[in-house]
Amino acid sequence: MTFHLEIVTPDGVSFDGQAESLYVRTQQGDIGILPNHIDYLAALGMGQARVTVDGQTRTAACIGGMVSVSAGEVKLVATTFEWAEDIDVPRAKAAEARARRVIEEKKLTEEELRLAEARLKRALVRQSVGRR
Amino acid sequence: MAGVSMKDIKLRIRSMESTKQITKAMEMVAASKLRRAQERVTHSRPYFETLYDTLRTIAEKTEDFDSPYLAERGGGKVCYVVIAGDRGLAGGYNNNVLKMAYAEIAGKDACVLPIGKRSVEFFRHRGVPILTEAYAEAADISISDCFSASKLLCKAFLNEEFDDIFVVYTTFVSILSQTPTLRKILPLPRTGKEKTGDPTCLTLYEPSSFEVFDAIIPEYLGGVIYGALCESVASEQGARRTAMDAATKNAEEMIGDLSLKYNRARQGAITQEITEIVAGGES
Repeated sequence: MTFHLEIVTPDGVSFDGQAESLYVRTQQGDIGILPNHIDYLAALGMGQARVTVDGQTRTAACIGGMVSVSAGEVKLVATTFEWAEDIDVPRAKAAEARARRVIEEKKLTEEELRLAEARLKRALVRQSVGRR
Repeated sequence: MAGVSMKDIKLRIRSMESTKQITKAMEMVAASKLRRAQERVTHSRPYFETLYDTLRTIAEKTEDFDSPYLAERGGGKVCYVVIAGDRGLAGGYNNNVLKMAYAEIAGKDACVLPIGKRSVEFFRHRGVPILTEAYAEAADISISDCFSASKLLCKAFLNEEFDDIFVVYTTFVSILSQTPTLRKILPLPRTGKEKTGDPTCLTLYEPSSFEVFDAIIPEYLGGVIYGALCESVASEQGARRTAMDAATKNAEEMIGDLSLKYNRARQGAITQEITEIVAGGES
């Protein structure tokens, strides 16, 4: 049994088709969506997403946005959604190092610190998903 | 020889030619930028549309008004996010969208968040209260800038600095056609349809509708602003390309006219010279 899943990001459509299951990390923790899920809405956190299509599971880094189920249609509207095979791990490592350096500087405004921390988190999520 | 001398005409032809070169170059630059901007629009449009549609569907279905983002406060204070270009010479692009926004604002207790140099200048000149001028360069605003703008707007909205937020931008219909558009973004627009009361269409919010909206709305706002910006940038390049194409064609036409005049004047001068020589020989 499958349901229609659409994954969109500002960079384009990442997935549009029938899927068997979807696991994503919301701000409250990981959730799984199977066919015939009740109408649902949650904000996404930062973490790994797993999509099963035709018995094959693909993983991706999924950061920010929302997931909604409406009349059986699942829509994942993410700020960042990158399939594991597309992730550039060395680049994420470099981004991690850069963000750590920035955070270690003591003279940061609150805004700069927040941005650097967000960058660090994104880099860490990318690395953990990309390595597998 | 009557009227303008050959030298004058020659000078005018030369100046037309250099104008034509400039407009031609601008057209080519706009065309190549347009290609990139168009690509960005086609990539971001599904996101933009899905985000907008999903939120609207949810707003329509929801039964409770816990979230301040959903409730119509009915106050008169309005904020407009007006997106225009940084430069002129793009036909009616800047004028159309700014005129539309100004007509909307007229007579209202409104403030604007202008994006793009032209937009900033327009509203500063007319003395409309401006929220921030931090987003003056429309060309190099990234998605993270959109999210920071959205945070600013959300904070002001929750502090009840204004009761409605609209975005005014230009929709990129095609290369040849762009239409200025007004879209309401907050509170979430509802069509006002009668509720069906169908118990099966209840939605599960995790952890609560209030918290979900609190987390999603800033993202939604940032996404919508980014989408509108992509559309506007593509529209600007499209409008500029069309305008410059027309200018080049006009210059070509004028050069043709002037060359005709020049040749006529030249021939007139030669005929006159021959007549003079013949007349001189006969005497």
